[in-house]
Amino acid sequence: MIQVSNVTKKFGDFVALDDLNMHVERGAIYGLVGPNGAGKSTIIRHLSGVYKQDAGQVLIDGQPVYENQAIKSRYAVIPDEIFYFTQANTLDMMKFYKDIYPNFDEALFKKIMNCFPAINPKKMVRTLSKGMQKQVAFMLSIAARPELMILDEPVDGLDPVMRRQIWSLIMSDVAENGLTVLVSSHNLRELEDVCDHVGIMNNGKILIERSLDELQTSITKIQIAFEGDMPKLPEDIQVLKKITNGRVHTLIVKGEPRAAEQIISQMNPLLMDVLPLTLEEIFIYELGGENYAVKDIIFKQGFIQEKH
Amino acid sequence: MQSKTSFLNKALYKKNISRTWIPGLLYFVLLLICQPISFIISTANIEDDWYSQLGYTMEMRLFEHMSSQPSATFSIVISIVVTAITFWYLFNRRDSYMMHAFPVSRRSLYFTGLASSFTVSIVPVILTAAIMSVAALASGAGNISCVWYWALITAFTTVLFTSIAMFSLMITGQLVTGIVFYCIFNFLYLLMEIAFRLTARILVYGMDAAMNGIQYNCFTPYLFILDKIKIISNVVTDDDYTKVIDFTYEYTGGKYMIGYTVFAILLIIFTYQLYRFKKLETVLDFISVPFMKPVFSVGMSFFISMVAGAFVAGMIEAIRVLSYDGRYAIAIVSTLIIGAIIYFATQMMIEKTLRVFCLKKTIHCVIYSVAALAVMLCMRFDVVGVENRVPKLEDIAWAGIQNDYTMVFTDEMEIEAFRQLHQNFLEDKKELRDINYNYRDVDGKRIEIRYKLKNGRIIIRSYPVINTEASVVSPEYLAATQPIIDFLNNPGRIKQHIIGNIWDDCEVRGMELSTIIDIENGKDYNFVYSNFDELSTTEKYAKFQRVYDAILKDIDAGKLFQQNFAGYEYNYKQNQKRMLYNDFNFTIYNKDKVYFSDENTFQDYVDTYSANNPSWHEQNIYVNLNLDCTNTLKALKDEGFYTSDEDLMTNYTFDKKYEN
Repeated sequence: MIQVSNVTKKFGDFVALDDLNMHVERGAIYGLVGPNGAGKSTIIRHLSGVYKQDAGQVLIDGQPVYENQAIKSRYAVIPDEIFYFTQANTLDMMKFYKDIYPNFDEALFKKIMNCFPAINPKKMVRTLSKGMQKQVAFMLSIAARPELMILDEPVDGLDPVMRRQIWSLIMSDVAENGLTVLVSSHNLRELEDVCDHVGIMNNGKILIERSLDELQTSITKIQIAFEGDMPKLPEDIQVLKKITNGRVHTLIVKGEPRAAEQIISQMNPLLMDVLPLTLEEIFIYELGGENYAVKDIIFKQGFIQEKH
Repeated sequence: MQSKTSFLNKALYKKNISRTWIPGLLYFVLLLICQPISFIISTANIEDDWYSQLGYTMEMRLFEHMSSQPSATFSIVISIVVTAITFWYLFNRRDSYMMHAFPVSRRSLYFTGLASSFTVSIVPVILTAAIMSVAALASGAGNISCVWYWALITAFTTVLFTSIAMFSLMITGQLVTGIVFYCIFNFLYLLMEIAFRLTARILVYGMDAAMNGIQYNCFTPYLFILDKIKIISNVVTDDDYTKVIDFTYEYTGGKYMIGYTVFAILLIIFTYQLYRFKKLETVLDFISVPFMKPVFSVGMSFFISMVAGAFVAGMIEAIRVLSYDGRYAIAIVSTLIIGAIIYFATQMMIEKTLRVFCLKKTIHCVIYSVAALAVMLCMRFDVVGVENRVPKLEDIAWAGIQNDYTMVFTDEMEIEAFRQLHQNFLEDKKELRDINYNYRDVDGKRIEIRYKLKNGRIIIRSYPVINTEASVVSPEYLAATQPIIDFLNNPGRIKQHIIGNIWDDCEVRGMELSTIIDIENGKDYNFVYSNFDELSTTEKYAKFQRVYDAILKDIDAGKLFQQNFAGYEYNYKQNQKRMLYNDFNFTIYNKDKVYFSDENTFQDYVDTYSANNPSWHEQNIYVNLNLDCTNTLKALKDEGFYTSDEDLMTNYTFDKKYEN
């Protein structure tokens, strides 16, 4: 569905996207994660047809996005900050969406509106709370019956009930209509629940792009304890991080977990547990190699010491 | 859903209208007040008012009313207001990103915005014209074409100003800057001309009066349209303003409208290309079009520093007398320093940071400074020949000079003689440029020379001159200036240009000499005039004619209307003892010949009302009498304007007697 190939974008001397490649399958829910300033919003603006890349290609369904009205009418974008016309209420916005999106389903819109009883459709949208404005954006976008939804921090500002409501609407659209979703968020816990594919971005590049299952099995947490000192691990095992607490050692190991488990078990540990990592942990440990490791900062007698 | 090739998007059009209808409505109300309501109120009592007594018809009232209606003034304001609201989304990141994420092409966004702007700002004009037409027809005016010509002018100016507004808004990412650019672009040429003229006024020899010659041209559309594209209503009354004797009207500026419309269309297309390639990350940037950045930076630096540099030189010269080269050196140094400061200041505005001092920008600044220096040196060495320019004879409609009196020459031989004198005057510029520096103690004044060209342009030059009778002045200076004085003091020329073109074929219809009498025991005074009421008109005219003949004799003898280049202070005491305080004037008249006013022509003052008025056949002439005008004084005494020499009082005597 989405094919981004070797895209570069510069703002003056600053390289926001650096030869970026990205691929999203039709029907996938793709989570785009990355630290602040990684370039997530920039690539989303390219996919929305707002920015034009300096180099490379941004294709949706094999067609360039920029200034492509036909392609843009097949997907909906919910940016982190949503725009509504001044003086327009929800019904006015619905009429506008109906006029510009060919597949807009007014009946569906009214149906969805029932799920959001707190929203007064005759009240100016700009006067609604930020969360309510987000809800209106979802109502409008889902009713546009898009093939692809591009969401930038979509549930930011929504209460937990509303988040669940929104995600359930999206998931049912994915299940029933094969909707493809690209979602960028800092809430990795939430993405873990909904995404089936993840792309981790840093410094304008996609570092890792995999299905969530693959990703979760590519990094493992292994807790081991030995009778004496821990023997030196063979170089076949790529340890991203090692934390020692008494005789218990916690290793974050990259690569096939079974192979690591087999090698370590031959070293006769007293204890060995293999634990799965959360997306948040994967994010932190993967970016550790990209100079983005969370630093252990100790505040002591007014001095700040960084312990690597 | 619009087709892929659609220029207009219905949904967007409706949304744009819903956001701009309020200013459109206010505009409509304003037009209604200015047009039908004001017309109905002013003509409500036509049966009794002054206009109906004069014989004005309702049609004349309508044309007078419509000719006074502002057209471009309304449209220059409404265009930017409506366009700014329509394209508001371009100046806010959130709005801009969202609008461009919608499945609407930039072409649709642009042309739909344009169409809705035109709708909101032109529909009120059409509605007003329709209502005005009904009001005019109901009032009895048969010809309502002027109403629709006004609507046409206003609609076309709206198209023009909207195109300028769109261009201004498209080259920046800040709304306020866009509006400022709109104001600047509308008056850019005029501002540039003023900058050049201000500089030239201080630095270029002969351009002291440069600020007087500004004429609006098509590059300053607002002022040019007001001047050239309008309804002219001409209601002519009789001499005593008691009856309308003629009524004509004219619609001017059709060809300019076509020209401006073509320009507006081209600008709209060009602006669309800017929008097509506009990078949306430039929202909130001071300038969002790359090629405009150096234009803005260099343009601002150049014009501001040039004017500021000239002003610095002018201010220093006000403190101490400078040679021409000294003044120029100060101007050049000041211009370069101020230019560099402004260059970096504009870079700060463009880059939105104070950190612009890098090698690359310094090199750019040096290149700019070298270019600015080259321009200043070109001005100094008069590369384009402004200082030496004396127009060709075949190009000149008239030539004129203003010293103590104003003379305008329309005769080809006189113009050529004057041209030669001017060219001769400019031969030795080095001497002339520094006369105030070289002869600091010699009194002097300024003379102004003007040429009106056949193409309508006026060339104005102004030169400082000094007293040719001063012993220290060089022979070169005398050779350059004395012929001009001799030319001006030619008796025939004085009669023709100071008395006027009817001097030898006129009736002297009035003449007054004031005598001064004491009141309040000599503490105060009154002017007394002889009116000769006891005489018949014929006798009076004959009396005036005899004095007039004596005046002509004194002119021939070089006693009256003599000019020089001496300053007011020169021989002040002697002059005061010679010049009479008594006020003297006379009126000449020729019923067949229109009086040619040298003064009005020189100032390019056209009074269409007076030009159609028979009173323009006469002129009142004021004469500063002096004790040397023996013929005139004798004639005045003989004819009874005064009786004893004590009735005459010199300025010196007057000051002495009534100084308190």
